[in-house]
Amino acid sequence: MGEMIYIPTTLEEALRIRKETGAHLLAGGSDIMVQGKRGIGLHPELPYPVMIITSIPELKGITDNGDGTVTIGALTIPSEIASSNIVPWHVRKAAAGMGAIALRNTATIGGNIGNASPKGDLPQPLILLDAEVVLSSESGERRMLLDDFILGAKKTALREDEIIKGVVIPAHSFTYSYYRKIGMRRANAISKLSLSAAAVVKDGEIIDFRASSGAAGPKVIRSREAENILKGHMVAELPELKESFLSAWNDAISPHAMPEYRRHTTRRMLEYFIDEIIRGAEPGIIGED
Amino acid sequence: MPATRIDDRIVRVDAAAKARGEAMYACDYTFPDMLYAYMIRSSIPRGTIDSIDIPKLPDGYYFISAKDIPPEGKNELWMIAKDWRCFADGDVRYVGETIGLLVGPDRNMLRYLSDHIEIKYTEQEPAISIDDAIAVKGGPIVGSDNTLCQLFVEKGRPMEEIFKEADSVFEETFETGFQEHVHLETNAAIATIEDGRYTIYASAQCPFYINKAIAGLLGLQPSDVVVKQTTTGGAFGGKEHFPDVLCGPLLVAEYKIKKPIKLVFDREEDMLYSVKRHPSKITYRTALDKDGNILGIDGLVYYNGGPYLSGTYVVLQRGVFHANGVYNIPNTYVKGIGIATNTFPSDAFRGFGAPQTLFAIETHMEHIAKKFGFDPAEYKSRYFIKKDEETITNGHIIERVMLPEMLEKVAEASDYWRKSKEYETGSGRGIGISFYNHGGAFTGNGEQAIIKAHARLVKTGDRVRIEVGSTEMGQGFQTSLRKIAAATLEIPIENVDYDNPDTSRVPDSGPTAASRSTMIVGRLIQRCGEEMKERWNEGDFSVEKEYEHPEGHPWDQNTFRGDAYLGYGWGCAAVEVEADKLTNEIKVVGIWSCHDIGHAIDELIVHGQVNGGIVQSLGYASMEKMENRKGYFKQSSMSDYVIPTSMEFPKQEWSLVENPYEWGPFGAKGMGELVFNGADAAYIDAVERALGITVHKIPMPPEDIEEALDAE
Repeated sequence: MGEMIYIPTTLEEALRIRKETGAHLLAGGSDIMVQGKRGIGLHPELPYPVMIITSIPELKGITDNGDGTVTIGALTIPSEIASSNIVPWHVRKAAAGMGAIALRNTATIGGNIGNASPKGDLPQPLILLDAEVVLSSESGERRMLLDDFILGAKKTALREDEIIKGVVIPAHSFTYSYYRKIGMRRANAISKLSLSAAAVVKDGEIIDFRASSGAAGPKVIRSREAENILKGHMVAELPELKESFLSAWNDAISPHAMPEYRRHTTRRMLEYFIDEIIRGAEPGIIGED
Repeated sequence: MPATRIDDRIVRVDAAAKARGEAMYACDYTFPDMLYAYMIRSSIPRGTIDSIDIPKLPDGYYFISAKDIPPEGKNELWMIAKDWRCFADGDVRYVGETIGLLVGPDRNMLRYLSDHIEIKYTEQEPAISIDDAIAVKGGPIVGSDNTLCQLFVEKGRPMEEIFKEADSVFEETFETGFQEHVHLETNAAIATIEDGRYTIYASAQCPFYINKAIAGLLGLQPSDVVVKQTTTGGAFGGKEHFPDVLCGPLLVAEYKIKKPIKLVFDREEDMLYSVKRHPSKITYRTALDKDGNILGIDGLVYYNGGPYLSGTYVVLQRGVFHANGVYNIPNTYVKGIGIATNTFPSDAFRGFGAPQTLFAIETHMEHIAKKFGFDPAEYKSRYFIKKDEETITNGHIIERVMLPEMLEKVAEASDYWRKSKEYETGSGRGIGISFYNHGGAFTGNGEQAIIKAHARLVKTGDRVRIEVGSTEMGQGFQTSLRKIAAATLEIPIENVDYDNPDTSRVPDSGPTAASRSTMIVGRLIQRCGEEMKERWNEGDFSVEKEYEHPEGHPWDQNTFRGDAYLGYGWGCAAVEVEADKLTNEIKVVGIWSCHDIGHAIDELIVHGQVNGGIVQSLGYASMEKMENRKGYFKQSSMSDYVIPTSMEFPKQEWSLVENPYEWGPFGAKGMGELVFNGADAAYIDAVERALGITVHKIPMPPEDIEEALDAE
């Protein structure tokens, strides 16, 4: 009973162990310990070797890269993300609404990404922002869009010898931003549905329009195809384009359970966001009291 | 130290030990050579057991099953009936039915062994829902048509006449779901032998239920088994009969092994494999005249009992007896049927059958009011039952009913009349109101005929010890009962002791259930105290009293006619909501309540009960969804079965009316269940008004509201 446990203290050591053993990574443990639970009075047991990377300094912290981009180390916890003034609003908002306080002090952004649950709180706004994930291995680093990295429910492109080092969020300056998480209750809840949306409007032209849906399919949904229906058009054209956008978005999502609720609610939220733009709402965050 | 007076505000006697983590719960106990047990359960809802293959057990490990019950014992747990088997034998009737107990020193090994036990079944088609059971899907589970138990009550003239006279008939069917207790401490018990007697330590509400239920497994008398209650971290009815299901197999194991054996459920086991609130399906057919006045109500109440009777008949009786709500309906016929299914047996849960029918009648009355253009509160208030009026069981209301005053208080605090008028239907904002009651203590003459409660006070020097079988389970009884004793004796509460009961040392004061403890056991202790006070200077002595039923309140348990309850708690709650029309999320923005509980023994405890009961009821109405798919509960953890957190609801405004109860200590009546019984209907009323929908079921999470909106 019991597989090997490794506890490296440097990234170099961790990458070596990862390459040699393929050990699964445990950062905060809030997902993996639940997967391995066996009942009262028993240690969790996992059918694979585990590497506890909690104490690796290179993977921690939030950095302003000076070029508008922000790097968040894989071991950064949601409560730190939520209270950072350099992290983009959508991500802070999602981090602030994740689980309970204890979880927000335990879970990590790397774990939340690596676990690749469609209900995960952080991937959804990160994918909206075209965040890239930085993957480290003994053979070097590579970067890819988080949207490409997460392949499906609980599936990622992480190689057996790689560790998620962090995410890099590009600079954005949205005219309008929107975020909603619908949980089973107001606090300490797993997401039932979530949505981020953002738009850049300049001189009446929609320079950028994007959205991402969480818990509405096997992975976070972005639809460039749908977004392109609105991008480059004038706000004045939105009333006539709205329906084809909403319909394209509806085609993009594929909720399994409670499909009507998830589809209708997603539609209503997006429609509301667009209507606010049409109405000429004050730039800023839409839908916050 | 000054003598404690009944209206003093005092700190709960158990608060500090619990807050410091010093209180000893069942799982905190260890004994030399203690073994652990792990329950082996049915993994199918219905079928026969073809074979049970046990891996070779290492030394010191045991598999205990029906075969280990000695010839002088019977494989039955004596709850109300004896139909619930200690161990499934030959067939299984629900997922989670106990098949055996693995016992041994190492829990890792137990888990390993349990993973390697192979049980082969021949599966049969199960009946899961009430409709499945009515259709006798897969053949009858009990009898010829799955009826576990049934009863009816009638009042006034025959219903055929009433329906002939009616200008219209309004019929609706309501459904309520399973509800899980989610007591903070999961179910747990330990069996051992002390001083040559089988001894059970259990997290339980009713220690005397346990020895009665399990002694027969070994052919023993209840008094041959000692039960010691351990500090119990919440129960809500989930530890009324259910501890028998843990303690029975443990006793059989103890008989074989003769070492201390501990069984503690983890949260997943407690969620998936424990009793729940009875799901219900309730149809009301109401005869109305042209102005919307009620001529009579015909009700049909189904409760899903699971395959064994357990508490279902008693729960159903209470449901039927509360089926007219707080109203004087001139003509009524209500039939109740407890129906057998292949789900985990349903059992006691705060409210004990009353919440289901009260939700249904409240919502039905509200729908009639809206149909005829009346304000629900105004319409309902026309039918408020009054003192001396006839109840649904042809008895009478014995006390003054203060609902009009309570409505006035709640309406004023909430600004109900203005809001009810001004908030337009479908505007996203709504206020709802409900009225409810709860009959205190056992039904009819049950306190006299069935329980015959005893309580004792023992004086040693200037200290007084309370000896009762009643338990603290978080509701505050160790504080309120001490307070009753101290206030009666006019001594400081610090001089009163009251330990967790041990059935070999205390008299049986009856189960800690049915909102009876303060009302009945409190009164017994008050009577003991009155005598002790008179004889105070006689030195060390004890006083024991037996329950006495007030004269002139007949009850016939065969026909269910007479005074079902001597005293009711009464309640009125208003709930205001804002609906988010994008997401159907409901935000409760105001909660107001007023209750008549006679006289409060301890206002701080009462405040806690009001807050907790109302929040639990709102959870029941809004988010607590326990689904059963093909016999398997779908929700297995506290992240998929959600109960309200402190963030869900706003601060409540609450009040009490003073209406001292003649036969209660210091005028107190029962209240622990009352406060659960009505906020659900007020919430649904508010949601219906805010969104312009009609609701016929609870719970109503946002996705179910979506369906209701689509149906409009």
